[in-house]
Amino acid sequence: MRLAGQLFLAFLVLVACDTAGRLISWWLGLPVPGTVIGILFLLGGLVAIRRVPEAVGRVADFLLAHLNFLYIPAGVGVMSYAALFAEDLWPILVALFASTFLAMLAAGYAFMAVARLTGNRERGE
Amino acid sequence: MSDIGIKLIYWDRVFEAGFWILVTLFFYYLALRIQRALGGTPLANPVLLAAAPIIGLLIAADIWVGDYMGGGQALLWLLGPATVGIAVPLYRNFARVRSALLPMAAALVTGSTVAVVSAVLIGDAMGASVETIRSLAPKSVTTPIAMGIAEEIGGYPSLAAAFVILTGIVGAVFGAAFFQLLRIRDERAKGFAMGIAAHGIGTARAFQENEVQGTFSGIAMALNGIVTALVLPLLWLAFS
Repeated sequence: MRLAGQLFLAFLVLVACDTAGRLISWWLGLPVPGTVIGILFLLGGLVAIRRVPEAVGRVADFLLAHLNFLYIPAGVGVMSYAALFAEDLWPILVALFASTFLAMLAAGYAFMAVARLTGNRERGE
Repeated sequence: MSDIGIKLIYWDRVFEAGFWILVTLFFYYLALRIQRALGGTPLANPVLLAAAPIIGLLIAADIWVGDYMGGGQALLWLLGPATVGIAVPLYRNFARVRSALLPMAAALVTGSTVAVVSAVLIGDAMGASVETIRSLAPKSVTTPIAMGIAEEIGGYPSLAAAFVILTGIVGAVFGAAFFQLLRIRDERAKGFAMGIAAHGIGTARAFQENEVQGTFSGIAMALNGIVTALVLPLLWLAFS
């Protein structure tokens, strides 16, 4: 029971960081999404206490391991727009595949090139 | 899963939203089982494997997608707190992240530029409509930001949202194969490239791979969202 309470409290901490971030982003009209500000709040808290409380770690790890679950409704939502892209089907398909590949190529190679230049290699290279 | 089957009927009478959340959970569970049975391959993407039968179900039973979204919105809301959780692996890997600031900056600038420019050029070369191209431009950033950008540059926000999700699925499904083809073996580079190109759905996949990939993907997703939101509308004004 005590563990369940701690886990629930940890979840509330995540909700509070997210909500605070969203409110601040909205109030100040920042171009930064609220959830990103929420990440910074939680990170600031962890840096301040210099450790990850066990319950917070478990809740965060659990949610991150199941992020896919939370994206399913977004996937279902795509069906509403199927008619909209029927007319440009081929350009859309080619652009989505090729551009995703090219973006990964550009980001991945830039990362590795600069890591090599700055002597910051890691395993696998 | 028979206990969930019983709860399905029970919750159906209590709240529609709870019912649809359970349906989603059920298909997610099935999708995970399938993915595990296939050795955890990224080709069996849980978002795709779960969303496709739900779409089929809605069409077959002639149910409006808005009814489903009563439950769907709750899960989309939960994405916020879950994403905030990225602070935890970020804290655990702080030293590693701090030492990679320069590679991340280089990958951010080149990756976010290529993600936008290549989509626009390919769409244009293949004769897509102006609205389609404008909705494609922000495809690599998270949904709420992409919708705002599409609106600002004259695309359709809802179409942009659909492109974002499809891009994420393409990245999550084929990312590992692309990295192998490109001989990218550094887990940090893989994660960062995944987050730049395929935002949250790519990040979900990256966390399935390992914590380092997931962390770098999460950072890339956040930074790419900010940079694209700031720069893309200005670039668009300059070049059109």
